[in-house]
Amino acid sequence: MTSSTVYTVVMAERAMQEATFLILTALADGSQHGYGILAEVAKISGGRVRLRAGTLYTALDRLRSDELIGVDREDIVDGRLRRYYRLTPGGAKRLAVEAARLHANATAALTRLSPAGGLVT
Amino acid sequence: MNETASLERGYRRVLMCYPKAFRQESGQEILGVLLTTAREGQRRVGLAESAALIRGGLRMRLRLTARPPRAVRGAVRLMCLGALVEAAAVVTIAATAGRVHAALAKAPGLTAAQGHQIASLLTVREVSAGVAVAVWLFLAWAIGHRRDVARFGFSAFFALNTLTLLVALAQHAVAYAPADLIAGAAVWLIALATMVLIFTRQSNAYYRQPARPPLARAAG
Repeated sequence: MTSSTVYTVVMAERAMQEATFLILTALADGSQHGYGILAEVAKISGGRVRLRAGTLYTALDRLRSDELIGVDREDIVDGRLRRYYRLTPGGAKRLAVEAARLHANATAALTRLSPAGGLVT
Repeated sequence: MNETASLERGYRRVLMCYPKAFRQESGQEILGVLLTTAREGQRRVGLAESAALIRGGLRMRLRLTARPPRAVRGAVRLMCLGALVEAAAVVTIAATAGRVHAALAKAPGLTAAQGHQIASLLTVREVSAGVAVAVWLFLAWAIGHRRDVARFGFSAFFALNTLTLLVALAQHAVAYAPADLIAGAAVWLIALATMVLIFTRQSNAYYRQPARPPLARAAG
C-alpha cells in the first residue's frame, strides 16, 4: 500500500483527464463491466461524453497498471467474457483528491462571478 | 446473424493493432462491448470507432513499460523531433533532385565527371538522412524502454553528428548550401538537448534502478 500511496502522490501532480475522471466516478459506487462504464459515463456527463470502446479499454488498461482500478469478477454472458472493474483504495483516494481540486476551482470561479454570493444558484 | 458475423470479422481485423498479450486477455471482452454498442443491422465497422481502436492500439504498443521520469520522456519526444527533421531533409532532397540535375546540366565550366560526382554526393546525403531517421526512431524506442546501452549508442551517434557538422562548417562555402547547414545545426541542437536530458541525475537513477516486478493484481 505504501508504494501505491507514493505513486498516487506523484500522479497527483497533473490534473486528471476528464475521461479518466468520469471512468473512476462511474466505478465509485460499485463495480461495473465495460459496457456499464460507457453507459454510466454518458449518464454522469449528461450525454456529453460518449466514450468509444477503444478509448475506454486503453484507459482501463492504464488505470489497472497504475493500480487505481482492479478486476472485481468475471462472468460469461452469451459465450463472451464479461469483466467487472472496481476502484482500488488508491483509486478512490486519487478520485477524492481530484474531485476536491475540481470542487475548489469551481467554487472559486462561482464566487468570483458573483461577489454578492447570491446570483449563482 | 450474418450482419453480426461480418461486423465481428471487421472488428477482429481492427483489433489486430493491439498487442497480442492484450488481445488474448481482453479481446473477447472488448469485442463484446463493440457488438453491444453497434447499431441495429450494422455490418461495417464505423470510421470513428476504428479510429479510436487504432489510436488505442498504437498507444498501448508504444506505451513505455515503467513510466520514465520527465527528462527521459522529454528526450524521447526530442528524438522523435530529430527523426522528423531528418525525414524533412530526405523529402526536400528528393523533391528538389530534378531541379538540381537540370541546373548541373546547364552549369558552365562543369565537366560531366564533376556533375556526376555532385549528383552522387546528393544520393549519399539522401540515403544517410534516411538511415538517420531510422537510427533516431530506434534509439528513441530503446531509450524510452530503459535500455541503458541505448544511451551510449546515442552518445556515439551524437559524436558522429558533431563531426559531420564540423566538417560541413570547415568546407562551408564549397560544398554546403546554407539551408543544409541550418538543417544540420538544428539536428545537432536537438541531439545536444537529448544528450543533456538522458544524462541528468534523474535519468541516471531511472536507468540504474532494478527492473520493476510484474504488476500484482489489485488485492481482492
